[in-house]
Amino acid sequence: MTKTILTIDDSASIRQMVAMTLKGAGLNVLEAGNGLEGYNTATTQTVHAVVTDLNMPVMNGLEFLKKFRQHPAGKGIPVILLTTESDEELKRQARESGATGWIVKPFKQDQLLAVIKKVTGA
Amino acid sequence: MSNDPAETFRQEARELLEQLEQGLLDLEHNPADDDLVNAVFRALHTIKGSGAMFGFTDVASFVHEFETAFDKVRKGLSPITPELIAVALDAKDHVHALIEAPDSADGAGEPILAALRGIVEGDSFPDAPMIDPAPAAGVPLEPTGRWRIRFRLPADALVHGTNPMLLLGEIADLGPCEVTALVDAVPGLDVIDPESCLIGWQVDLTHADPVAALDDVFLFLKDGMELSIEPLAIATMSEPELPPAAEAILDILAEEVEALAVVADVPAPKAAKPSKEPREATVAKSETASTSMRVPAERLDELMDKVGELVIAQARLSQLAALSADGNLKTVAEELERLSSGLRDTTMGIRMVPIGTIFSRFRRLVHDLSRELDKEIEFITTGEETELDKTMIERLADPLVHLIRNSVDHGLESAEQRIKAGKSAKGTVRISAVYAGAEVAISVTDDGAGLNAARIRAKAEEQGLITPETRIADQDLYYMIFAPGFSTAKEVTSLSGRGVGMDVVKRTIDGLRGKIELTTRPGEGTTFTLRLPLTLAIVEGMLIRVGNGRYSIPLSAVEECVELPASVATHSRGRNFLDIRGSLVPFLRLRDLFNTPGEPDAHQKVVIISSGEGRAGLVVDQIIGNNQTVIKQLSHLHSGIETFSGATILGDGAVALILDTSRLVSYGQAYEEKFRNESGRAAA
Amino acid sequence: MTTFTEPMRALTLRLDDELFAIRAESVREILDLVPVTEVPNSTPFAFGLINVRGRVVPLANLKVAFGMAEVEPDQDTRIVVIETEIDQEPTVVGIVADKVYDVTDIEPAAIEEAPRVGMRWRPDYVRGIGKRRGDFIIIPDMQRIFEIEGRRSGTSTAEERAAS
Repeated sequence: MTKTILTIDDSASIRQMVAMTLKGAGLNVLEAGNGLEGYNTATTQTVHAVVTDLNMPVMNGLEFLKKFRQHPAGKGIPVILLTTESDEELKRQARESGATGWIVKPFKQDQLLAVIKKVTGA
Repeated sequence: MSNDPAETFRQEARELLEQLEQGLLDLEHNPADDDLVNAVFRALHTIKGSGAMFGFTDVASFVHEFETAFDKVRKGLSPITPELIAVALDAKDHVHALIEAPDSADGAGEPILAALRGIVEGDSFPDAPMIDPAPAAGVPLEPTGRWRIRFRLPADALVHGTNPMLLLGEIADLGPCEVTALVDAVPGLDVIDPESCLIGWQVDLTHADPVAALDDVFLFLKDGMELSIEPLAIATMSEPELPPAAEAILDILAEEVEALAVVADVPAPKAAKPSKEPREATVAKSETASTSMRVPAERLDELMDKVGELVIAQARLSQLAALSADGNLKTVAEELERLSSGLRDTTMGIRMVPIGTIFSRFRRLVHDLSRELDKEIEFITTGEETELDKTMIERLADPLVHLIRNSVDHGLESAEQRIKAGKSAKGTVRISAVYAGAEVAISVTDDGAGLNAARIRAKAEEQGLITPETRIADQDLYYMIFAPGFSTAKEVTSLSGRGVGMDVVKRTIDGLRGKIELTTRPGEGTTFTLRLPLTLAIVEGMLIRVGNGRYSIPLSAVEECVELPASVATHSRGRNFLDIRGSLVPFLRLRDLFNTPGEPDAHQKVVIISSGEGRAGLVVDQIIGNNQTVIKQLSHLHSGIETFSGATILGDGAVALILDTSRLVSYGQAYEEKFRNESGRAAA
Repeated sequence: MTTFTEPMRALTLRLDDELFAIRAESVREILDLVPVTEVPNSTPFAFGLINVRGRVVPLANLKVAFGMAEVEPDQDTRIVVIETEIDQEPTVVGIVADKVYDVTDIEPAAIEEAPRVGMRWRPDYVRGIGKRRGDFIIIPDMQRIFEIEGRRSGTSTAEERAAS
């Protein structure tokens, strides 16, 4: 079955890049511009993994994560955070909030694919 | 194992000659197959060599000549023709005689060799390229490190999107490994939180140095998880996960299972217990003889008995463990179940032998009969892989030979008679073997003239078995051919008269606790079917409940289970059919069949079984589950009961009857036919 | 009837209100009542199966052969496991007994031929009638009983039922 990945980022170019990379690997992609949009999409459609930025207006990545994990649809779905630096404190916070993994920006396309493959098996 | 080297050679030679014969017969149908030619050549070569070594010089020198003549064939300088094969078979018989009864074989060798040389010197072919048989390649494994990896994820790992299967998959990608789940932290079902990850894992991995790779695997989890990576030599000295007594038992069982696998030449089931040394190099088997051992049949009987008892005891243990809250006990019980299942499969693999081993001997028989009687015969075998108990196969050989001879000699008409009757000149004899519940059904069919009821009747009256006034149905008349002394052969040909009459066949089958059935259609042919019990078979069964009784259905016969639709349950108005994805399947209400008192359960279930081409549904009160059943034969007291083919003992000690699925399917078919006739009549 | 030339070593048991003597050497063991699995479509005579240490043993109701009434099993009820011949094959079967007494020797002098007429039961089922301490003891012909009763199996009824 083809898996669907949700990408949440307020930067349209990042979203575009992620979408292109993932679609090129045969995955379906949904997009959202902030945490709230992402939450609505992820809790109403079938999503096999989420890649989300941290700093976004309206609802940021961590808030999305915490809210998502409380929703029945959100338990067990891998969520990957995009971080701008390798901040240990940030990683700890992310983990506590329920993140499955992270990718450090800027990232290469194959790094993204490797992480998606690791957490979804796709 | 015999201490007499001559006897050892004879046994080995018998097997080689058997292979040789099969090879020659196959070669007749596939003359272009170089592999077959080489196989024949190898067999000759081995017999020559061993013969010389064990003092059978006559054999060695004869085979040498045989080999020399056949060498031309191998080089492609002489074609393979039916004449060549016939002479080669004669040569094989001569070798056999030289080994078994050397005095009688005197002088018979020369003419055969002369004939062989004559055929081979004749035509010559241009040099055909010869394919070298590939030598058996051994693939030694590089000794690498063995590591024991143990990890436990944080309890919220699953909720946070981590999939342990993917992690294990990543580790498995690194190299061969064995995974054990560590369940000691898993509480009882009543208190467990399904969202928490309480299972730990232990992976024994073969890899040069996995530390860096594992770092990558657990990249996102390193901080919250427990992880230990130890070289295995050290790991085995550390605290074992299972209680020591359990480990010891599992060790012994695992060794026993592997040892048996070596004896039986059957791949051993993989034990989850880690082995203490790196895996031994596996060498690809060579095509001729694989290592085998001779074991007295009584020892195998003992072993089968013990395995049967072990299966019963293990089922009881599993029952007790299921009721217990002790996680470790459950683990050991499951482990034991796996090992005992493996043991059962391995031991059954020793004693059970594919019936194809005697089928092959019949090909030679039909070949010879065909030539002697000048009848063209097509001999078809199916179900060669069907396995039976070894002693049973040996005892079936003679009766089957007789039935085949009978079919060929008396059943099949001559070519002209066949053509006159509008049949093909070539007659067909078919022998097949198939499982039917707790039995094996072996059939010998011919498309000949069928049994002649009038002739049988005349003979029966002549023998005084019936009087002219006796009224007897045709079907019962046919069965009279099994009466002692009965024989309708107009003359006793060298092939079918040997004191081996149908009555001896019946007696042999009776002695095996089997039954013999026959159906015949005048002008179309005859089928003899032998039904034999699968002795000491341990098979998977589906346990069902009808009323207060529990019964077992051989799982191999079960296709699927469905619920009985409420509408059908209440008013089927005598139309007991179910629509299964478009086709109508007749069903039988077991409660009715068994005359069970009381009311049926709500929500009856239907188990769809199949036998041969037919299907039927069995309506039951409850489907309990699957279990391993040790098949016990019913005694003579119950031999007339048709719906059951055996009995088994359940985990709680109760006896459960095993349903005869082929019989039930035929009931269903009979019902279907009756229904069709009646509705046909009603519609008319 | 077979002539008794030597004392018969017999196990005495009671069915309903009659005493029976079974050849002691044919008795394998005596069990308390165990769960019985009924065999559907069997005769009332060969009605059940029991588990004896992992072996499936058929259970026979001798009372059927002698037209006796059924009683509720109680703490005296036993299953006597014997070896007898069925279809010329030695077979292990169990018979239900209302009470089992002891093993005694019955003197040949004390055994009489069963009367040809006037007896409640089939004469071919009875080898003889012995006397022990004032009571009449029936010596059954087990082989004959199993031969006749065992032959009546309910196969046709099963098929009929299936076709209905």
